[in-house]
Amino acid sequence: MTVLQGTAAATPRPRRSGGGFWRALRGNRKAMAGSVILLIFVVISAFPGLFTSVHDPNALQFPPRLGPSTGHLLGTTGLGQDIYTQLIYGTRQSLIIAVVAGFFATVLSVLIGVSAAYLGGIMDDLLSMVTNVALVIPAFPLIVILAKYAGHGSLTVLLVVLVVTGWAYGANQMRAQALSLRNRDFLESARVRGERRSYIIVFEVLPTMTSLIVANFLGAALYSVLSAAGLQFLGLGDPNSSSWGTMLYWAQNQQALQTGAPLWSIAPGLCVALLGVAFALMNYAFDELSNPALRPVKAKERKVRAAVAAKASAAAAAAEARAEASPSPADPGGPPAPDLADAESAADPDAPLLQVRGLTVEYATARGASVAVAKVDLDVRRGEFLGVVGESGCGKSTLLFAIARLLSAPASTTGGSVTFKGRNLVAMTEKQLNVLRWRDYSVVMQSAMNALNPVRTIGAQFKDAIEAHADYSSEQIKQRSVEVLELVGIDPVHLKSYPHQLSGGMRQRAMIAMALLFTPDLVIMDEPTSALDVVAQRSLMVQIKELQQLLGFAVIFVTHDMSLVSRFSDRLVVMYAGQVVEAGPTRTVFDTPAHPYSKGLLDAFPSIHGERVELKGIPGSPPDLGNPPAGCRFHPRCPVVQDRCRSQEPELYRIGEAGEVRARCLLLTSDDEPQASRSLEVNS
Amino acid sequence: MKHVLRRGGFFLLTLWAALTLNFFIPRFMPGDPVNALRDRTRGKVSEATLQQMLSSFGFKPNQNLGTQYLDYLGNMLTGHWGLSIGQALGEPVTTIIGQALPWTLGLVGITTVLAFALGTLIGIVAGWRRGGRLDAILPPLFVVTSALPYFWVALLLILMFSVWTNGLLPSDFNYDTSLVPGFSPGFIGSVLQHAVLPAATLLITSIGGWILTMRNNMITTLAEDYVRMGRAKGLPTRKVMYGYAARNAFLPNLSGFAMSLGFVISGAILIEYVFNYPGLGYLLYSAVQNVDYPLMQTLFMLFTVAVLVAVLICDLATAWLDPRVRAKE
Repeated sequence: MTVLQGTAAATPRPRRSGGGFWRALRGNRKAMAGSVILLIFVVISAFPGLFTSVHDPNALQFPPRLGPSTGHLLGTTGLGQDIYTQLIYGTRQSLIIAVVAGFFATVLSVLIGVSAAYLGGIMDDLLSMVTNVALVIPAFPLIVILAKYAGHGSLTVLLVVLVVTGWAYGANQMRAQALSLRNRDFLESARVRGERRSYIIVFEVLPTMTSLIVANFLGAALYSVLSAAGLQFLGLGDPNSSSWGTMLYWAQNQQALQTGAPLWSIAPGLCVALLGVAFALMNYAFDELSNPALRPVKAKERKVRAAVAAKASAAAAAAEARAEASPSPADPGGPPAPDLADAESAADPDAPLLQVRGLTVEYATARGASVAVAKVDLDVRRGEFLGVVGESGCGKSTLLFAIARLLSAPASTTGGSVTFKGRNLVAMTEKQLNVLRWRDYSVVMQSAMNALNPVRTIGAQFKDAIEAHADYSSEQIKQRSVEVLELVGIDPVHLKSYPHQLSGGMRQRAMIAMALLFTPDLVIMDEPTSALDVVAQRSLMVQIKELQQLLGFAVIFVTHDMSLVSRFSDRLVVMYAGQVVEAGPTRTVFDTPAHPYSKGLLDAFPSIHGERVELKGIPGSPPDLGNPPAGCRFHPRCPVVQDRCRSQEPELYRIGEAGEVRARCLLLTSDDEPQASRSLEVNS
Repeated sequence: MKHVLRRGGFFLLTLWAALTLNFFIPRFMPGDPVNALRDRTRGKVSEATLQQMLSSFGFKPNQNLGTQYLDYLGNMLTGHWGLSIGQALGEPVTTIIGQALPWTLGLVGITTVLAFALGTLIGIVAGWRRGGRLDAILPPLFVVTSALPYFWVALLLILMFSVWTNGLLPSDFNYDTSLVPGFSPGFIGSVLQHAVLPAATLLITSIGGWILTMRNNMITTLAEDYVRMGRAKGLPTRKVMYGYAARNAFLPNLSGFAMSLGFVISGAILIEYVFNYPGLGYLLYSAVQNVDYPLMQTLFMLFTVAVLVAVLICDLATAWLDPRVRAKE
């Protein structure tokens, strides 16, 4: 818990505004390294005289091929010039080429890309075609030829050639982004306001494309630096100019490497490389900032991850020790034996199918560990339908994936046990789990569009699952696949279909069919209907319930829609901020919600058959799990909050006559019971 | 079918654009190629041969530009590429290119495919082990290597493995000229030895890009539900990593590969120049130096065709690997 205290300081939400972006850029090590290199070169190119005492970099005034000395830091060229001085004076031209060619190539990209996107129709087709043609025609041979025809020497010609060959890549990207922006709300509203198109493009579109435009400039600058140096190296530049490329040309021309003056060509090459690397680093930093997933895991975050991982393996070890101590016939150390487990649970028919105790999940973030699931207990009996409800961000999906042992970094299970058919899943290795997965418990996810592999047929994905667990002939695989598809009412011809060829409802059914391939004892469902419209939702729910009654599997069903589960679930678990706040038989929880949060959830959804009531919802949003409120986690949003709620942490109290409901609310405690029931009554 | 037609149309259009550029650049740029040719050939060939060369190059002063242009297009497409007016004066361009082509295909072709395959593989592993120690070092390292100038890497390698080590590895030409070309072990060994440094240069400068894009694609793909679903199904780790994650992450890289071929060609020109490697890149350099227009324009056309063929192949491969692309067309 010391980790958490460290993060108790203010935790501002990430902002997408410009200020935040630049601040993030400053924090990026690659961007900083790139800027520093660039800045040094800029200073040198502005004041070359400050860095060297030799005035004419090109005059042949020294003995040739001197080694490095205090007089000539990098020695002299084969022609008798000071290499260091030539480098200093060569900086300006390389920088000018990079900045000017990069700038005009970017302007051209923006102009053509954005015009194509906004003009649309034939103009778009035409401009895109020109862009694609320009993109495919190999630029460098063209530059070589152009540079030759255009004659030696002219910097302007070189710049024009670089711009003409360097704009196409950016134009494609600009067009793509401008197209994606076209139908955004803020542009729609500008259009409704009656703004002119040019105004919209300049003042609304371009500012939002800033980061892409800057990234493009950096890319074009990199391309120009390397191409220009290559051209000059080949002798297609002005042989009398002061530039790194010209130095390289003369060095190559005079066989610098072979005649004992390697610095003559290595040093200017290094400068070109450094300038190129500066642009490349900044460019990559922009990529990372626009897609944070790509960022390297920071050292600090890695430390937190290691700490969390250590806790997780400690939890697993503890679980294993417990399993060994208990007189269970299943041997967790040895090879997994599902049959034994079956026999064991068959011997004790009263034992729950799934028993979760004290399950805790932590996320490792740069700010420290954040507890997403805190000591959750729950039981699922054979054939039971358990609903888990709560708002988005309350940890319910994380809980599901922790039960299924499907968490991946930075999340991991750091405590508790998941006992499934008498065996603790937390103590099992991935290999041992793979034996149980799909045969004994399967998973259905929120959106089949995302959960089905888009490039493989439904049949192939069924086949993968079957092959991982059974030694079936291809005939048997086919037969079983057809069976489960018919079970959910899909024509078996769709085994040959790809996910994108099915409708949303059919995809969801296909995924459920896949989950039933081995008729597992438990199917874990993560909002499987929320991607569907209300009508499809109902019919899918009815079908799930029918299948469950037919095949007898148990279901854990996560949703934020309390009314959806009311008709189908046997028992209900309400989660808030990573904790179970109420658990009990569905009817009881529905009729007499004990926790103010459960009440709020119920009020947030209309009842289809019930009378018309005003929908209230719950003001505010769930807390940051890295920094949950003290006392009762719900207190900042609770309509019946009392003083002690702010400091005293409630436990799960058994309530009701039979004690079959448990709720985490201080107002339900016996020492203050009259007040509790009164305030809840007032609200209902 | 529509897909194939569209791609074919794009192929022809781009080829036409490249050929047209090729035709008009020498005619509208300063420096008259006809006079250059006259100067070059003065005293070497007869007036009749000169006329034949000029017309083979497409310069028929008594014809209008339109006819010349059409003739030129026809000749380029039918392989009538004319005679060299450069170093190998009077030699058919087809012969010269035929001699250089295998060397470039062997060196640049194999190395490029190798860099792509190797980079993709490393990228897959780096992305899969996201957050590991390796993943903290690889990205910045390869951002740097992918920004290095080809020729500079080549020079460094020559310095280290040839100059400082007294010719440990050859830095010049494509084989030891004292050997007789043939399928003898000595000759093949010499060819391989001469290919080490140029191939290493191309590999070092191009592999970083593939590693980075594949790693980044992989990380994006690993967050997809279908990867977690693969694990949920209890599939072996390998199957999830390659069949579910990498299989999808690879798709955008395919089109990137074709597009990058232009850069590979620029690398080939510089590398072959530094190593005096007699391939197409070196040929283009010397054609430019010697104002050998027929050779130049044929090479440029061939480079364009190479990229276009690669684009076409990658397009077809993408359509074959991704049913959604097939559906869209």
